[in-house]
Amino acid sequence: MAEKTYDVIVVGTGAGGGMAVKTLCEAGLKVCALSAGRRLDPAKDFRNHRQPFDMKYRGFGDPKTRAQSYGYMDNEYTAGIWEHEITYTTAPGTEWMWPRCWAVGGKTNFWGRSSARFGEIDFRAASRDGFDTDWPVGYEEMAPYYSRAERMIGVASTVQNRPSNPDGDYLPPMNFRCLDYILKSGCDKLGVPYLPDRIAQLTQEHAGHPACHFCGNCTEGCDTGSFFSTPWFFLPLAEKTGNLELVQNALAREVLVDENGRAKGVAYVDRATRAEREVYGRAVVMAASTVETAHIMLNSKSRFWPTGIANSCGQLGRNLCDHLYGTSAYGYLPQLLGQPSFPDNVSSSTVAWMPRWQNLESPHQEKFIRGYSVYPYGGTEELPWYYKRLEGFGSKFKRDIKRYYPTPVSFTVQAPTLRSDTNYVDIDPEAKDIYGRPAVRIHFQWDTNVLEMWEHSKQACADVLKAAGGERWGVADAPEIPGYSLHETGTCRMGNDSKRFVTNRFGQCHDVSNLYVADASVFLNCTDKTTTISILAFSLRASEHLIETLRGG
Amino acid sequence: MLALGAWASQFPGFSRWVYACEHLSPGPAEIRPAEYSPRFFSPAEYTTLERLTDLIIPSDGTPGAREAGVAEFVDFMASADSSIQYRFRYGLSWLEAHAQSLYGRRFMDLAADEQSGLLEHLAYKDHFRPGEEDGRAFFELIRDYTVMGFYTSRIGMEQLDYPGLKLYSESPGCPHKNDPEHKHLLSVNS
Repeated sequence: MAEKTYDVIVVGTGAGGGMAVKTLCEAGLKVCALSAGRRLDPAKDFRNHRQPFDMKYRGFGDPKTRAQSYGYMDNEYTAGIWEHEITYTTAPGTEWMWPRCWAVGGKTNFWGRSSARFGEIDFRAASRDGFDTDWPVGYEEMAPYYSRAERMIGVASTVQNRPSNPDGDYLPPMNFRCLDYILKSGCDKLGVPYLPDRIAQLTQEHAGHPACHFCGNCTEGCDTGSFFSTPWFFLPLAEKTGNLELVQNALAREVLVDENGRAKGVAYVDRATRAEREVYGRAVVMAASTVETAHIMLNSKSRFWPTGIANSCGQLGRNLCDHLYGTSAYGYLPQLLGQPSFPDNVSSSTVAWMPRWQNLESPHQEKFIRGYSVYPYGGTEELPWYYKRLEGFGSKFKRDIKRYYPTPVSFTVQAPTLRSDTNYVDIDPEAKDIYGRPAVRIHFQWDTNVLEMWEHSKQACADVLKAAGGERWGVADAPEIPGYSLHETGTCRMGNDSKRFVTNRFGQCHDVSNLYVADASVFLNCTDKTTTISILAFSLRASEHLIETLRGG
Repeated sequence: MLALGAWASQFPGFSRWVYACEHLSPGPAEIRPAEYSPRFFSPAEYTTLERLTDLIIPSDGTPGAREAGVAEFVDFMASADSSIQYRFRYGLSWLEAHAQSLYGRRFMDLAADEQSGLLEHLAYKDHFRPGEEDGRAFFELIRDYTVMGFYTSRIGMEQLDYPGLKLYSESPGCPHKNDPEHKHLLSVNS
């Protein structure tokens, strides 16, 4: 095989990789992008317009494989798309659910679309409360990148002037439903914010993409591309430049190094043929997702990098953070009993949110530091799950199910863990996946701070429900297990000190200047916000820094 | 059922009620041949099963479990899921034995009000009787599967007027904005 050298090899085509690919290609650089899975065909692979009765198991999934599901997006409608072949291990005492979409576009195919910017309160959290370290960038520096990312993808929301949540450039918001007005009235009484979420769902045509048709099954993929995903939004732009070569089913083994220990390419296995391949580039961008990026880099051992590439500080794979998710309260709104059914779940996700309201005036007002956000849900769903709360059988039972149909509500907390030495990924000394790659091993436990948030959210959400005139049915016995949120961060944290951080303030590895990390691995922690819009902003910034680096020599 | 139990007991926000499986080509799931041959249950078990689904979601002026073919769904799921087969089979035999001990007749030979009466002790906390724990567990199981089967059928979803998977030109909003708390509906509803 002729030794072609690209300008840049990008590992991963999700939010981080997709943004890098687009930005680099549009700058005229020749890019080879590796995707560990195949390209999806929206017409065949997205079954979002199927009804339960169109599905063999009515959407409940094949009982034989149901227990292997990695969470809510990995279901009968998306069967065959989420990663199940590649194994990972967990340390004793660790539970970790690792939902991976390695199809082209990664998790952007199915993501929840909530898109709040990180704020100065997040970047300077350590200065406020004394825990851990500030980010090496501030909000002012990041704001333009957020604005550009928002304009590219289209985010619907309103200007809210919240201290923890900088406003951006928004499309018109989703309309509030009955349940939103009712819950907001409860929140208003308590001084808790209840606002339109920042949601990357096109409430109007945007950048050549059609407006949402509000069918409500977004997390099974969108057949019209009316919310951002890299296959709908970025990869076509990159391909139009003629500068992109996209390799499917290319499972990266390691970053290859030259005689000076610098990155020279990536070794991968072609999953379709099992052929071993190498691609070469002047630079490499890692964007395989937080755990997998660290996994590949830890497996990239050489005489220069005996513990993994760019790991002279020993922090590669360390500092894993995640969002604790859990149902802090659920119940129903008596106001809506017997009301006609209403299309409440037109986003299958987040119309509204309750953005962080804790520890805003001073960092130690609560028993915990930092803060959490809450996503309210409710109204008519496909299945009347609340029947469990209704006793009996017969005509009354049947009538009650209909009567309660518009009424259920629930609250999901999104609470960040703090950096901890106990939470990290490393290479399992024994286990290998079916391609012979040493498997990644995950070490993780919830910290007491995040569990305090969980307790706090249960009381807060019960109070909101009560103030709104609702009745509480209960609370989840326990939070979801770690990994469930798909918001893990931190294995290649960025910082100015090369002895403490893997990457610098641009996501460039301190040790290896032509190796960049452009996913959530570089984040100091996960904050109370979702990760995707920040991955896009940071990847855009990293990519432009890389362009300058390559131009400069 | 573990999955459903976990799901239903703590409605998990983002979560929907679906789980991984191999997708087969879609088709109408409610074809009801005149004579259905159960895959898992014996003909006698199946007759009782169908009657139970009918008691849980009756055809009472609007379509019920019988019209929606719920018993066929339960039979299909039981045939596909070895983890629930024993519980169904044991539960049905418990019910037979219980009918015999209370009335000296088979469950299917009881009058409708006798059948309902028997179930009431399994379904309502105030009517629980000691020694019927197994029966209560079975009733919960059959009720779960009846709800699952009915409200995922076209007929069941039409009963609720399921509003999803339709197309809207803008995101549907509340029609009662002049009363954010929606208190005026409380009197209408009661």
